Amino acid sequence: MEEIVNENVSATDLKKYESVYLEQQRRGHVSEKTQFDYALCLVRSKYEEDKYKGVSLLMDLLRSSSDNQSMRDYYFFIAIAYTRLKLYEKALDYVEPIFKIEPSNRQAKELKAYIKKKLKTDGLIGMAVVGGAALALGGVVAATIAAIRK
Amino acid sequence: MSGAKVDIKVVLLGKAYTGKTSLVERYIHNRFSGDTVPYQNVITIGAAFGAKTVSIGNKNVIIGIWDTAGSERYEAMSRIYYRGAKAAIICYDLSDRSSFDRARFWIGELQKHEENCQIHLCGTKYDLIVDNPDLRKIQERETFALAQDVRGKVYETSSKTGKDVSLIFTNIASDYISSLRNKPAQENKEHLVALRNASSKRNFCSGCKI
Repeated sequence: MEEIVNENVSATDLKKYESVYLEQQRRGHVSEKTQFDYALCLVRSKYEEDKYKGVSLLMDLLRSSSDNQSMRDYYFFIAIAYTRLKLYEKALDYVEPIFKIEPSNRQAKELKAYIKKKLKTDGLIGMAVVGGAALALGGVVAATIAAIRK
Repeated sequence: MSGAKVDIKVVLLGKAYTGKTSLVERYIHNRFSGDTVPYQNVITIGAAFGAKTVSIGNKNVIIGIWDTAGSERYEAMSRIYYRGAKAAIICYDLSDRSSFDRARFWIGELQKHEENCQIHLCGTKYDLIVDNPDLRKIQERETFALAQDVRGKVYETSSKTGKDVSLIFTNIASDYISSLRNKPAQENKEHLVALRNASSKRNFCSGCKI
């Protein structure tokens, strides 16, 4: 799953599908396919705002969709986007609905496991940072007390 | 397994329901679940990735496999995935004529955009043909003719029985190793660097012993 989550789109591809999207927007109608292609590029862009934009385009598709398979795919890529943004709790919110559509979907299971793992390791790192800070603070206090006592 | 360590990038292309994911499942995990899971539940989202190490002689090669979604809505994405692939396994269902047309489409794509990508034509679900020869919709000679045009290889596989599945990947790995051997030294910089690093490491070690 790591490869799928961390895969970046090339600038050329992003531009290519962006221009199709903008052209259709200019003409007044964006097809579902065009919006989907562009959103998938945005989600895999290395820039934060692109990822958010990708999410909003996918949400938009999700709202207007009634077919389960498309919805499943939109949920999946929204979850991928949030995973890439390190918003793991949010990502999980979008993995869960996939199981309502396909209870044993393997890709969703793998993504969920990946997010859970990330939550755990990032949590540990967070604790280590807080712990380290507390330790440093303790050191400063001890040094100050020592200095005052002198 | 990280994508960065992969020696060969392989991409699977072909119409939906030709059994690309089943082929990867059989190859990497040696299992088959096609009979038990209803079709709607196995259609791939976007693409999946898997990797496996193959030993050829005294060399290990890591193959990274991009299993693309067959549904047409992912055509744009699949185009991105075949870029830089050393080999493509183009799957068609031996019992579905239209999947063979789709295979031709992907061959055309690769020839246009990725001419150094070795083509492996893979007829899937061979077990169905064995059970009922009338189901065969694509004759072997047809595939051979097509393969000859693109200097590709032909396989008829069954992920259910395992027939010829690992053969494809072993061939891909062997092709890769012989391409390393045949490359002129100048073009082979990466390989040279690796060797140089290896020998300097050895010197360091023998230095330690002294």
